[in-house]
Amino acid sequence: MGIINRGTIHLTVFALIVLTFPFWFEYTGGYAGLDTKIIIWAIFALGFDLLLITGYLSFGHAAFFGISAYATGLMLLHYSSNIIEAMIVGVVVSTIAAVIIGFLTLRRTGIYFSVLTLAFGEMFHTAAVSIFSGLTGGENGLTGLPTPTLFGEKMQGSNVFYLCAIFLIIGFYLARRITRSPFGLMLKSLKSNQTRLEYIGINVQFYKNSAFVLSSIYAAVAGSLMVIYEPYVATEFLEWKTSGTLVIMSVMGGVGTLFGPMIGAAFMLYFENVASVFLEEQWLLALGIMFMAIVVYLPGGFVDGYKRMMRHWVKKNQA
Amino acid sequence: MSEMIQKPDSNAFFSVQDIHSYYGESYIVQGVSFEIAEREIVALLGRNGAGKTSTLRTIARAHEPFLKKGKIVLNGMPLHQLEAHQAAQIGVQLVPEDRRIIGGATVEENLILAQIAKPIGWSFEQIYEHFPRLAERRKQQATTLSGGEQQMLAVARALARDLKLLLLDEPYEGLAPIIVREIERILLEVKKLGITTIIVEQNAVAALKLADRAIILDTGLVAFDGSAQEVLDNKELREEYLAI
Ligand SMILES: Nc1ncnc2c1ncn2[C@@H]1O[C@H](COP(=O)(O)OP(=O)(O)OP(=O)(O)O)[C@@H](O)[C@H]1O
Ligand SMILES: [Mg+2]
Repeated sequence: MGIINRGTIHLTVFALIVLTFPFWFEYTGGYAGLDTKIIIWAIFALGFDLLLITGYLSFGHAAFFGISAYATGLMLLHYSSNIIEAMIVGVVVSTIAAVIIGFLTLRRTGIYFSVLTLAFGEMFHTAAVSIFSGLTGGENGLTGLPTPTLFGEKMQGSNVFYLCAIFLIIGFYLARRITRSPFGLMLKSLKSNQTRLEYIGINVQFYKNSAFVLSSIYAAVAGSLMVIYEPYVATEFLEWKTSGTLVIMSVMGGVGTLFGPMIGAAFMLYFENVASVFLEEQWLLALGIMFMAIVVYLPGGFVDGYKRMMRHWVKKNQA
Repeated sequence: MSEMIQKPDSNAFFSVQDIHSYYGESYIVQGVSFEIAEREIVALLGRNGAGKTSTLRTIARAHEPFLKKGKIVLNGMPLHQLEAHQAAQIGVQLVPEDRRIIGGATVEENLILAQIAKPIGWSFEQIYEHFPRLAERRKQQATTLSGGEQQMLAVARALARDLKLLLLDEPYEGLAPIIVREIERILLEVKKLGITTIIVEQNAVAALKLADRAIILDTGLVAFDGSAQEVLDNKELREEYLAI
Protein backbone atom coordinates (compact mmCIF):
# COMPACT_ATOMS: atom_id res chain seq x y z
CA MET A 1 0.00 0.00 0.00
CA GLY A 2 2.98 2.30 0.46
CA ILE A 3 2.11 5.78 1.61
CA ILE A 4 -1.62 5.30 1.06
CA ASN A 5 -2.57 3.96 4.48
CA ARG A 6 -5.90 4.06 6.25
CA GLY A 7 -5.04 7.30 8.03
CA THR A 8 -4.35 9.11 4.77
CA ILE A 9 -7.60 7.82 3.30
CA HIS A 10 -9.61 8.88 6.34
CA LEU A 11 -8.08 12.32 6.32
CA THR A 12 -8.56 12.79 2.58
CA VAL A 13 -12.18 11.71 2.70
CA PHE A 14 -12.75 13.97 5.67
CA ALA A 15 -11.15 16.95 3.93
CA LEU A 16 -13.22 16.35 0.79
CA ILE A 17 -16.47 16.17 2.74
CA VAL A 18 -15.66 19.38 4.59
CA LEU A 19 -14.48 21.31 1.54
CA THR A 20 -17.45 20.32 -0.61
CA PHE A 21 -19.90 20.89 2.21
CA PRO A 22 -21.38 24.18 0.88
CA PHE A 23 -22.11 22.57 -2.52
CA TRP A 24 -24.32 19.77 -1.29
CA PHE A 25 -25.52 21.27 1.97
CA GLU A 26 -28.07 23.52 0.26
CA TYR A 27 -29.82 20.47 -1.18
CA THR A 28 -30.51 19.20 2.33
CA GLY A 29 -32.47 22.29 3.23
CA GLY A 30 -29.67 24.12 5.02
CA TYR A 31 -29.32 27.86 4.51
CA ALA A 32 -26.13 29.58 3.45
CA GLY A 33 -24.07 30.38 6.52
CA LEU A 34 -25.34 27.48 8.57
CA ASP A 35 -22.58 25.37 7.02
CA THR A 36 -19.96 27.73 8.45
CA LYS A 37 -21.61 27.65 11.86
CA ILE A 38 -21.59 23.85 11.79
CA ILE A 39 -17.89 23.80 10.98
CA ILE A 40 -17.17 26.16 13.88
CA TRP A 41 -19.11 24.05 16.34
CA ALA A 42 -17.43 20.95 14.97
CA ILE A 43 -14.04 22.46 15.89
CA PHE A 44 -15.37 23.21 19.38
CA ALA A 45 -16.75 19.67 19.82
CA LEU A 46 -13.69 17.98 18.32
CA GLY A 47 -11.39 19.65 20.84
CA PHE A 48 -13.78 18.87 23.67
CA ASP A 49 -13.44 15.19 22.83
CA LEU A 50 -9.74 15.37 23.68
CA LEU A 51 -10.78 16.21 27.23
CA LEU A 52 -13.68 13.77 27.36
CA ILE A 53 -11.42 10.80 26.60
CA THR A 54 -9.72 11.44 29.94
CA GLY A 55 -13.05 11.00 31.72
CA TYR A 56 -13.28 14.63 32.84
CA LEU A 57 -16.63 16.17 31.95
CA SER A 58 -16.34 19.95 31.86
CA PHE A 59 -19.46 22.06 32.09
CA GLY A 60 -17.51 25.25 31.67
CA HIS A 61 -16.00 25.17 28.22
CA ALA A 62 -18.21 28.07 27.17
CA ALA A 63 -15.71 30.16 29.12
CA PHE A 64 -12.91 29.49 26.65
CA PHE A 65 -15.16 29.88 23.64
CA GLY A 66 -16.57 33.12 25.04
CA ILE A 67 -13.36 34.65 26.37
CA SER A 68 -11.75 34.15 23.00
CA ALA A 69 -14.82 35.57 21.26
CA TYR A 70 -14.76 38.70 23.41
CA ALA A 71 -11.01 39.17 23.04
CA THR A 72 -11.30 38.74 19.27
CA GLY A 73 -14.23 41.15 19.14
CA LEU A 74 -12.44 43.77 21.22
CA MET A 75 -9.37 43.52 19.00
CA LEU A 76 -11.49 43.96 15.86
CA LEU A 77 -13.29 46.90 17.43
CA HIS A 78 -10.39 48.80 18.95
CA TYR A 79 -7.24 47.64 17.21
CA SER A 80 -7.62 46.49 13.64
CA SER A 81 -10.06 44.60 11.47
CA ASN A 82 -7.24 42.21 10.57
CA ILE A 83 -8.14 38.76 11.88
CA ILE A 84 -4.58 37.51 12.43
CA GLU A 85 -3.86 39.65 15.48
CA ALA A 86 -7.44 39.32 16.69
CA MET A 87 -7.36 35.53 16.54
CA ILE A 88 -3.95 35.26 18.15
CA VAL A 89 -4.95 37.51 21.03
CA GLY A 90 -8.26 35.67 21.41
CA VAL A 91 -6.61 32.27 21.62
CA VAL A 92 -3.75 33.38 23.85
CA VAL A 93 -5.99 35.14 26.38
CA SER A 94 -8.35 32.19 26.49
CA THR A 95 -5.50 29.71 26.87
CA ILE A 96 -4.12 31.62 29.83
CA ALA A 97 -7.54 31.40 31.45
CA ALA A 98 -7.62 27.66 30.68
CA VAL A 99 -4.25 27.07 32.32
CA ILE A 100 -5.45 28.76 35.50
CA ILE A 101 -8.90 27.17 35.60
CA GLY A 102 -7.52 23.76 34.72
CA PHE A 103 -5.00 24.03 37.53
CA LEU A 104 -7.76 24.90 40.00
CA THR A 105 -10.43 22.43 38.91
CA LEU A 106 -8.46 19.32 37.97
CA ARG A 107 -7.57 18.65 41.58
CA ARG A 108 -11.06 17.21 41.86
CA THR A 109 -12.64 14.40 39.86
CA GLY A 110 -16.12 13.31 38.81
CA ILE A 111 -19.04 15.46 39.74
CA TYR A 112 -16.90 17.85 41.81
CA PHE A 113 -14.83 18.69 38.76
CA SER A 114 -17.95 19.20 36.64
CA VAL A 115 -19.57 21.49 39.18
CA LEU A 116 -16.38 23.49 39.65
CA THR A 117 -16.04 24.09 35.91
CA LEU A 118 -19.70 25.09 35.76
CA ALA A 119 -19.13 27.59 38.55
CA PHE A 120 -16.08 29.09 36.88
CA GLY A 121 -17.93 29.32 33.58
CA GLU A 122 -20.84 31.17 35.16
CA MET A 123 -18.41 33.42 36.97
CA PHE A 124 -17.05 34.65 33.64
CA HIS A 125 -20.53 35.10 32.26
CA THR A 126 -21.64 37.11 35.28
CA ALA A 127 -18.50 39.21 35.17
CA ALA A 128 -19.01 39.97 31.48
CA VAL A 129 -22.54 41.27 31.98
CA SER A 130 -21.84 43.12 35.23
CA ILE A 131 -18.46 44.48 36.28
CA PHE A 132 -17.02 44.39 32.78
CA SER A 133 -20.15 45.60 31.00
CA GLY A 134 -18.40 48.85 30.03
CA LEU A 135 -15.95 46.79 28.02
CA THR A 136 -18.22 43.98 26.84
CA GLY A 137 -21.40 45.88 26.11
CA GLY A 138 -23.19 44.11 28.95
CA GLU A 139 -26.40 42.25 28.15
CA ASN A 140 -26.45 43.63 24.60
CA GLY A 141 -23.23 41.89 23.71
CA LEU A 142 -20.38 43.44 21.82
CA THR A 143 -21.75 45.26 18.81
CA GLY A 144 -20.57 47.61 16.09
CA LEU A 145 -17.67 45.46 14.97
CA PRO A 146 -16.16 46.18 11.54
CA THR A 147 -16.15 43.50 8.86
CA PRO A 148 -13.04 41.43 9.59
CA THR A 149 -10.33 41.36 6.94
CA LEU A 150 -7.41 39.14 5.99
CA PHE A 151 -4.65 40.72 3.87
CA GLY A 152 -7.13 43.43 2.84
CA GLU A 153 -9.69 40.85 1.75
CA LYS A 154 -13.08 41.11 3.45
CA MET A 155 -13.88 37.99 5.46
CA GLN A 156 -17.46 37.25 4.46
CA GLY A 157 -19.45 34.38 2.99
CA SER A 158 -17.38 31.61 1.49
CA ASN A 159 -14.10 33.24 2.58
CA VAL A 160 -15.09 32.62 6.18
CA PHE A 161 -16.31 29.14 5.36
CA TYR A 162 -12.97 28.08 3.90
CA LEU A 163 -11.04 29.71 6.71
CA CYS A 164 -13.06 27.66 9.21
CA ALA A 165 -12.84 24.54 7.06
CA ILE A 166 -9.04 24.75 7.02
CA PHE A 167 -8.95 25.06 10.80
CA LEU A 168 -11.24 22.05 11.14
CA ILE A 169 -9.15 19.89 8.80
CA ILE A 170 -5.92 20.81 10.59
CA GLY A 171 -7.65 20.33 13.94
CA PHE A 172 -8.86 16.89 12.91
CA TYR A 173 -5.43 15.88 11.65
CA LEU A 174 -3.83 16.93 14.96
CA ALA A 175 -6.52 15.33 17.11
CA ARG A 176 -6.08 12.08 15.20
CA ARG A 177 -2.31 12.21 15.63
CA ILE A 178 -2.74 12.88 19.34
CA THR A 179 -5.26 10.12 20.04
CA ARG A 180 -3.16 7.56 18.18
CA SER A 181 0.09 8.42 19.95
CA PRO A 182 1.34 7.09 23.31
CA PHE A 183 0.29 10.46 24.72
CA GLY A 184 -3.28 9.84 23.55
CA LEU A 185 -3.22 6.31 24.93
CA MET A 186 -2.21 7.77 28.25
CA LEU A 187 -5.00 10.36 28.15
CA LYS A 188 -7.49 7.53 27.64
CA SER A 189 -5.95 5.58 30.51
CA LEU A 190 -6.34 8.52 32.89
CA LYS A 191 -10.02 7.68 33.17
CA SER A 192 -9.51 4.67 35.40
CA ASN A 193 -5.83 4.22 36.19
CA GLN A 194 -4.41 7.41 37.63
CA THR A 195 -2.47 5.86 40.51
CA ARG A 196 -1.13 3.09 38.32
CA LEU A 197 0.10 5.65 35.82
CA GLU A 198 1.91 7.46 38.59
CA TYR A 199 3.65 4.24 39.53
CA ILE A 200 5.13 4.07 36.04
CA GLY A 201 6.48 7.57 36.25
CA ILE A 202 3.72 9.57 34.61
CA ASN A 203 3.01 13.03 35.99
CA VAL A 204 -0.75 12.61 35.91
CA GLN A 205 -1.57 16.15 37.02
CA PHE A 206 0.52 17.65 34.26
CA TYR A 207 -1.07 15.54 31.54
CA LYS A 208 -4.60 16.18 32.77
CA ASN A 209 -3.85 19.86 32.53
CA SER A 210 -2.45 19.38 29.03
CA ALA A 211 -5.66 17.72 27.85
CA PHE A 212 -7.72 20.47 29.43
CA VAL A 213 -5.68 23.24 27.82
CA LEU A 214 -5.59 21.46 24.48
CA SER A 215 -9.37 21.19 24.39
CA SER A 216 -9.60 24.84 25.41
CA ILE A 217 -7.42 25.89 22.51
CA TYR A 218 -9.91 24.29 20.12
CA ALA A 219 -12.71 26.08 21.99
CA ALA A 220 -10.82 29.36 21.69
CA VAL A 221 -10.24 28.94 17.97
CA ALA A 222 -13.94 28.18 17.52
CA GLY A 223 -14.97 31.20 19.61
CA SER A 224 -12.71 33.46 17.63
CA LEU A 225 -13.97 32.13 14.29
CA MET A 226 -17.54 32.66 15.45
CA VAL A 227 -16.89 36.39 15.74
CA ILE A 228 -15.22 36.45 12.34
CA TYR A 229 -18.20 34.61 10.89
CA GLU A 230 -20.67 37.00 12.46
CA PRO A 231 -19.02 40.18 13.77
CA TYR A 232 -20.92 40.32 17.02
CA VAL A 233 -20.28 38.79 20.46
CA ALA A 234 -23.37 37.48 22.22
CA THR A 235 -23.34 37.12 26.00
CA GLU A 236 -24.70 33.61 25.56
CA PHE A 237 -21.31 32.54 24.19
CA LEU A 238 -20.17 32.57 27.81
CA GLU A 239 -23.31 31.08 29.26
CA TRP A 240 -23.71 27.58 30.71
CA LYS A 241 -26.16 26.80 27.87
CA THR A 242 -23.26 26.88 25.44
CA SER A 243 -21.34 24.41 27.61
CA GLY A 244 -24.43 22.25 27.92
CA THR A 245 -25.00 22.23 24.16
CA LEU A 246 -21.41 21.09 23.70
CA VAL A 247 -21.90 18.21 26.12
CA ILE A 248 -25.15 17.14 24.44
CA MET A 249 -23.56 17.19 20.98
CA SER A 250 -20.66 15.07 22.18
CA VAL A 251 -22.85 12.49 23.89
CA MET A 252 -25.24 12.25 20.93
CA GLY A 253 -22.40 11.83 18.47
CA GLY A 254 -20.28 9.45 20.53
CA VAL A 255 -17.70 10.46 23.12
CA GLY A 256 -14.08 9.57 22.41
CA THR A 257 -14.52 8.89 18.71
CA LEU A 258 -13.49 12.32 17.30
CA PHE A 259 -15.97 11.87 14.44
CA GLY A 260 -18.92 11.50 16.78
CA PRO A 261 -18.90 14.92 18.43
CA MET A 262 -18.50 16.61 15.04
CA ILE A 263 -21.48 14.69 13.69
CA GLY A 264 -23.35 15.54 16.87
CA ALA A 265 -22.59 19.23 16.29
CA ALA A 266 -23.78 19.07 12.69
CA PHE A 267 -26.89 17.19 13.67
CA MET A 268 -27.84 19.55 16.44
CA LEU A 269 -27.37 22.75 14.48
CA TYR A 270 -29.17 21.31 11.50
CA PHE A 271 -31.98 20.14 13.68
CA GLU A 272 -32.23 23.45 15.49
CA ASN A 273 -32.32 25.49 12.30
CA VAL A 274 -34.04 23.25 9.79
CA ALA A 275 -36.37 21.03 11.79
CA SER A 276 -37.54 23.99 13.85
CA VAL A 277 -39.12 25.36 10.71
CA PHE A 278 -41.63 22.49 10.91
CA LEU A 279 -41.64 21.89 14.63
CA GLU A 280 -41.45 25.53 15.73
CA GLU A 281 -40.99 25.79 19.47
CA GLN A 282 -41.39 22.04 19.89
CA TRP A 283 -37.96 21.33 18.44
CA LEU A 284 -36.33 21.45 21.88
CA LEU A 285 -38.78 18.86 23.16
CA ALA A 286 -38.07 16.63 20.16
CA LEU A 287 -34.36 17.07 20.74
CA GLY A 288 -34.75 16.20 24.41
CA ILE A 289 -36.59 12.99 23.60
CA MET A 290 -33.96 12.03 21.05
CA PHE A 291 -31.19 12.77 23.51
CA MET A 292 -32.76 10.54 26.14
CA ALA A 293 -33.36 7.76 23.64
CA ILE A 294 -29.70 7.87 22.62
CA VAL A 295 -28.40 7.85 26.19
CA VAL A 296 -30.60 4.86 27.07
CA TYR A 297 -30.47 2.75 23.90
CA LEU A 298 -27.28 3.88 22.20
CA PRO A 299 -24.79 5.01 24.84
CA GLY A 300 -22.06 5.17 22.20
CA GLY A 301 -24.02 7.75 20.23
CA PHE A 302 -24.36 7.98 16.44
CA VAL A 303 -20.95 6.46 15.82
CA ASP A 304 -21.90 3.41 17.87
CA GLY A 305 -25.20 3.18 15.98
CA TYR A 306 -23.35 3.24 12.69
CA LYS A 307 -20.94 0.53 13.85
CA ARG A 308 -23.78 -1.70 15.00
CA MET A 309 -25.55 -1.24 11.69
CA MET A 310 -22.41 -2.15 9.78
CA ARG A 311 -21.89 -5.25 11.89
CA HIS A 312 -25.47 -6.28 11.32
CA TRP A 313 -25.11 -5.72 7.61
CA VAL A 314 -21.88 -7.71 7.38
CA LYS A 315 -23.46 -10.61 9.28
CA LYS A 316 -26.50 -10.61 7.01
CA ASN A 317 -24.36 -10.65 3.92
CA GLN A 318 -22.25 -13.50 5.23
CA ALA A 319 -25.29 -15.65 5.98
CA MET B 1 14.77 -7.98 69.19
CA SER B 2 14.70 -4.24 68.75
CA GLU B 3 18.38 -3.96 69.67
CA MET B 4 19.05 -5.62 66.34
CA ILE B 5 17.87 -2.55 64.41
CA GLN B 6 20.96 -1.10 62.86
CA LYS B 7 21.87 2.52 62.85
CA PRO B 8 21.10 3.89 59.40
CA ASP B 9 24.13 4.21 57.21
CA SER B 10 23.69 6.80 54.51
CA ASN B 11 26.32 5.05 52.37
CA ALA B 12 23.99 2.14 51.62
CA PHE B 13 22.57 1.83 48.12
CA PHE B 14 19.10 2.05 49.56
CA SER B 15 18.12 3.05 53.05
CA VAL B 16 14.95 3.67 54.99
CA GLN B 17 15.68 5.82 58.02
CA ASP B 18 13.15 5.92 60.83
CA ILE B 19 10.03 6.31 58.70
CA HIS B 20 6.64 7.04 60.25
CA SER B 21 3.51 7.02 58.11
CA TYR B 22 -0.20 7.49 58.57
CA TYR B 23 -3.51 6.72 56.92
CA GLY B 24 -5.38 9.78 58.08
CA GLU B 25 -5.17 9.56 61.84
CA SER B 26 -4.07 5.95 62.07
CA TYR B 27 -0.40 5.58 62.75
CA ILE B 28 0.78 2.52 60.86
CA VAL B 29 4.49 2.55 60.02
CA GLN B 30 5.99 3.44 63.37
CA GLY B 31 9.68 4.04 62.84
CA VAL B 32 11.02 1.48 60.40
CA SER B 33 14.72 1.53 59.47
CA PHE B 34 16.76 -0.76 57.28
CA GLU B 35 19.22 -0.64 54.48
CA ILE B 36 19.87 -2.68 51.40
CA ALA B 37 23.03 -3.13 49.38
CA GLU B 38 23.03 -2.92 45.61
CA ARG B 39 21.93 -6.20 43.94
CA GLU B 40 20.64 -7.54 47.24
CA ILE B 41 17.24 -9.23 47.52
CA VAL B 42 15.41 -8.75 50.78
CA ALA B 43 12.27 -10.56 51.93
CA LEU B 44 10.01 -8.30 53.97
CA LEU B 45 7.94 -10.59 56.17
CA GLY B 46 5.42 -10.40 58.95
CA ARG B 47 1.90 -11.31 59.90
CA ASN B 48 -1.22 -9.88 58.28
CA GLY B 49 -1.51 -6.23 59.08
CA ALA B 50 2.13 -5.92 60.17
CA GLY B 51 2.61 -2.99 57.82
CA LYS B 52 4.44 -4.61 54.89
CA THR B 53 2.25 -3.13 52.15
CA SER B 54 2.22 0.21 53.93
CA THR B 55 6.03 0.22 54.03
CA LEU B 56 6.28 -0.54 50.31
CA ARG B 57 3.72 2.11 49.49
CA THR B 58 5.58 4.64 51.59
CA ILE B 59 8.78 3.85 49.72
CA ALA B 60 7.03 4.17 46.36
CA ARG B 61 5.64 7.54 47.56
CA ALA B 62 1.99 6.60 47.12
CA HIS B 63 -0.54 9.23 48.25
CA GLU B 64 -1.41 6.93 51.13
CA PRO B 65 -0.04 6.29 53.67
CA PHE B 66 1.32 9.76 54.27
CA LEU B 67 4.98 9.93 55.32
CA LYS B 68 5.22 12.26 58.29
CA LYS B 69 8.78 11.71 59.36
CA GLY B 70 11.90 9.92 58.21
CA LYS B 71 14.18 9.59 55.23
CA ILE B 72 14.25 7.25 52.29
CA VAL B 73 17.38 7.37 50.17
CA LEU B 74 18.04 5.54 46.91
CA ASN B 75 21.48 5.86 45.41
CA GLY B 76 21.94 9.22 47.11
CA MET B 77 18.54 10.51 45.99
CA PRO B 78 16.11 11.66 48.70
CA LEU B 79 12.97 9.69 47.84
CA HIS B 80 11.12 11.11 50.83
CA GLN B 81 11.01 14.48 49.08
CA LEU B 82 9.47 13.11 45.90
CA GLU B 83 6.03 12.27 44.59
CA ALA B 84 5.04 8.84 43.25
CA HIS B 85 5.73 9.63 39.60
CA GLN B 86 9.09 11.19 40.43
CA ALA B 87 10.09 8.17 42.50
CA ALA B 88 9.17 5.99 39.53
CA GLN B 89 11.27 8.17 37.26
CA ILE B 90 14.38 7.67 39.35
CA GLY B 91 13.91 3.91 39.27
CA VAL B 92 11.52 2.72 41.97
CA GLN B 93 8.99 0.25 40.59
CA LEU B 94 6.20 -1.03 42.77
CA VAL B 95 4.32 -4.11 41.62
CA PRO B 96 1.29 -3.76 43.88
CA GLU B 97 -0.71 -6.62 45.38
CA ASP B 98 -4.06 -5.72 43.78
CA ARG B 99 -4.79 -5.89 40.04
CA ARG B 100 -1.53 -4.78 38.63
CA ILE B 101 -2.28 -3.82 35.05
CA ILE B 102 -3.73 -0.82 33.27
CA GLY B 103 -7.28 -1.49 32.15
CA GLY B 104 -8.68 -0.44 28.80
CA ALA B 105 -5.30 -1.12 27.19
CA THR B 106 -3.71 -4.13 25.53
CA VAL B 107 -0.60 -5.93 26.76
CA GLU B 108 1.57 -3.99 24.37
CA GLU B 109 -0.12 -0.70 25.24
CA ASN B 110 0.68 -1.35 28.90
CA LEU B 111 4.33 -1.55 27.91
CA ILE B 112 4.08 1.55 25.72
CA LEU B 113 2.62 3.47 28.65
CA ALA B 114 5.46 2.29 30.86
CA GLN B 115 7.93 3.90 28.50
CA ILE B 116 6.31 7.32 28.19
CA ALA B 117 8.28 8.74 31.10
CA LYS B 118 12.04 8.60 30.71
CA PRO B 119 14.39 6.90 31.43
CA ILE B 120 13.39 3.56 30.00
CA GLY B 121 14.83 0.07 30.45
CA TRP B 122 14.35 -3.03 28.38
CA SER B 123 13.23 -2.88 24.76
CA PHE B 124 10.08 -4.69 23.67
CA GLU B 125 12.25 -7.32 21.96
CA GLN B 126 14.05 -8.09 25.21
CA ILE B 127 10.78 -8.22 27.11
CA TYR B 128 9.08 -10.54 24.64
CA GLU B 129 12.13 -12.76 24.55
CA HIS B 130 11.93 -13.25 28.31
CA PHE B 131 8.14 -13.38 28.42
CA PRO B 132 7.03 -15.45 25.44
CA ARG B 133 3.53 -15.76 26.92
CA LEU B 134 3.18 -11.98 26.72
CA ALA B 135 4.54 -11.94 23.18
CA GLU B 136 1.75 -14.30 22.11
CA ARG B 137 -0.81 -12.04 23.74
CA ARG B 138 0.52 -8.62 22.86
CA LYS B 139 -2.73 -7.51 21.22
CA GLN B 140 -4.95 -8.94 23.96
CA GLN B 141 -6.78 -6.66 26.40
CA ALA B 142 -4.69 -6.77 29.55
CA THR B 143 -7.72 -7.17 31.82
CA THR B 144 -8.53 -10.46 30.10
CA LEU B 145 -5.17 -11.99 31.04
CA SER B 146 -5.08 -14.69 33.70
CA GLY B 147 -3.83 -13.75 37.15
CA GLY B 148 -0.41 -15.23 36.46
CA GLU B 149 -0.13 -13.49 33.10
CA GLN B 150 -1.10 -10.19 34.68
CA GLN B 151 1.65 -10.69 37.24
CA MET B 152 4.12 -11.36 34.42
CA LEU B 153 2.97 -8.21 32.67
CA ALA B 154 3.43 -6.23 35.88
CA VAL B 155 7.01 -7.50 36.23
CA ALA B 156 7.65 -6.94 32.52
CA ARG B 157 6.36 -3.40 32.82
CA ALA B 158 8.75 -2.74 35.68
CA LEU B 159 11.61 -4.01 33.51
CA ALA B 160 10.48 -1.77 30.67
CA ARG B 161 11.51 1.12 32.89
CA ASP B 162 15.01 1.98 34.04
CA LEU B 163 14.73 -0.09 37.18
CA LYS B 164 16.87 0.46 40.28
CA LEU B 165 14.66 -0.84 43.05
CA LEU B 166 11.93 -3.41 42.52
CA LEU B 167 9.18 -3.65 45.13
CA LEU B 168 7.09 -6.81 44.84
CA ASP B 169 3.98 -7.07 46.98
CA GLU B 170 2.84 -10.70 47.24
CA PRO B 171 3.74 -11.75 43.71
CA TYR B 172 2.49 -15.30 44.29
CA GLU B 173 -0.82 -14.37 45.87
CA GLY B 174 -3.83 -16.20 44.50
CA LEU B 175 -1.88 -18.11 41.87
CA ALA B 176 -1.96 -21.84 41.19
CA PRO B 177 1.25 -23.73 42.14
CA ILE B 178 2.21 -24.25 38.51
CA ILE B 179 1.95 -20.52 37.82
CA VAL B 180 3.83 -19.75 41.03
CA ARG B 181 6.69 -21.83 39.65
CA GLU B 182 6.66 -19.85 36.43
CA ILE B 183 6.72 -16.51 38.26
CA GLU B 184 9.48 -17.92 40.46
CA ARG B 185 11.51 -18.74 37.38
CA ILE B 186 11.04 -15.18 36.13
CA LEU B 187 12.05 -13.70 39.48
CA LEU B 188 15.16 -15.89 39.54
CA GLU B 189 16.07 -14.38 36.18
CA VAL B 190 15.47 -10.91 37.60
CA LYS B 191 17.76 -11.86 40.47
CA LYS B 192 20.50 -12.86 38.01
CA LEU B 193 20.22 -9.42 36.47
CA GLY B 194 21.26 -8.03 39.84
CA ILE B 195 18.23 -5.85 40.42
CA THR B 196 17.88 -4.70 44.01
CA THR B 197 14.56 -6.08 45.22
CA ILE B 198 12.25 -6.08 48.22
CA ILE B 199 9.79 -8.93 48.13
CA VAL B 200 6.80 -9.11 50.46
CA GLU B 201 5.23 -12.55 50.63
CA GLN B 202 2.79 -14.48 52.81
CA ASN B 203 4.53 -17.56 51.60
CA ALA B 204 7.72 -16.88 53.59
CA VAL B 205 9.44 -20.07 52.47
CA ALA B 206 9.05 -19.13 48.81
CA ALA B 207 10.30 -15.62 49.48
CA LEU B 208 13.29 -16.86 51.47
CA LYS B 209 14.30 -19.14 48.59
CA LEU B 210 14.81 -16.04 46.52
CA ALA B 211 16.09 -13.64 49.16
CA ASP B 212 19.56 -13.08 50.59
CA ARG B 213 18.19 -11.40 53.65
CA ALA B 214 14.99 -11.16 55.66
CA ILE B 215 13.40 -8.32 57.57
CA ILE B 216 10.45 -9.12 59.80
CA LEU B 217 7.94 -6.39 60.61
CA ASP B 218 5.63 -6.48 63.59
CA THR B 219 3.01 -3.77 64.25
CA GLY B 220 4.84 -1.23 62.17
CA LEU B 221 8.31 -1.88 63.58
CA VAL B 222 11.31 -3.96 62.53
CA ALA B 223 11.39 -7.07 64.75
CA PHE B 224 14.19 -8.91 62.99
CA ASP B 225 16.83 -8.14 60.39
CA GLY B 226 19.18 -10.91 59.38
CA SER B 227 20.05 -13.55 56.86
CA ALA B 228 17.37 -15.62 55.16
CA GLN B 229 18.99 -18.78 56.50
CA GLU B 230 18.66 -17.53 60.08
CA VAL B 231 14.90 -17.26 59.70
CA LEU B 232 14.66 -20.72 58.21
CA ASP B 233 16.74 -22.14 61.08
CA ASN B 234 15.07 -20.26 63.93
CA LYS B 235 11.87 -22.05 64.81
CA GLU B 236 10.84 -19.64 67.59
CA LEU B 237 11.21 -16.64 65.33
CA ARG B 238 9.11 -18.28 62.69
CA GLU B 239 6.41 -19.26 65.13
CA GLU B 240 6.27 -15.88 66.78
CA TYR B 241 6.16 -13.68 63.69
CA LEU B 242 5.35 -15.79 60.69
CA ALA B 243 3.22 -18.67 61.95
CA ILE B 244 5.13 -21.24 59.91
N1 LIG C 1 -6.22 2.75 53.58
C1 LIG C 1 -6.09 2.43 54.89
N2 LIG C 1 -6.69 3.18 55.84
C2 LIG C 1 -6.55 2.88 57.15
N3 LIG C 1 -5.81 1.87 57.60
C3 LIG C 1 -5.19 1.09 56.71
C4 LIG C 1 -5.29 1.32 55.31
N4 LIG C 1 -4.58 0.38 54.66
C5 LIG C 1 -4.06 -0.41 55.62
N5 LIG C 1 -4.42 0.01 56.86
C6 LIG C 1 -4.04 -0.60 58.13
O1 LIG C 1 -2.65 -0.58 58.24
C7 LIG C 1 -2.19 -1.76 58.86
C8 LIG C 1 -1.09 -2.36 58.03
O2 LIG C 1 -1.64 -2.75 56.78
P1 LIG C 1 -0.75 -3.33 55.62
O3 LIG C 1 -1.63 -3.49 54.43
O4 LIG C 1 0.45 -2.51 55.47
O5 LIG C 1 -0.37 -4.76 56.19
P2 LIG C 1 0.35 -5.97 55.49
O6 LIG C 1 1.52 -6.30 56.34
O7 LIG C 1 0.62 -5.69 54.07
O8 LIG C 1 -0.74 -7.10 55.63
P3 LIG C 1 -1.14 -8.29 54.65
O9 LIG C 1 -0.17 -9.37 54.90
O10 LIG C 1 -2.50 -8.68 55.12
O11 LIG C 1 -1.12 -7.77 53.27
C9 LIG C 1 -3.38 -2.66 59.04
O12 LIG C 1 -3.78 -2.59 60.38
C10 LIG C 1 -4.43 -2.06 58.15
O13 LIG C 1 -5.71 -2.22 58.68
MG1 LIG D 1 -0.14 -6.39 52.27
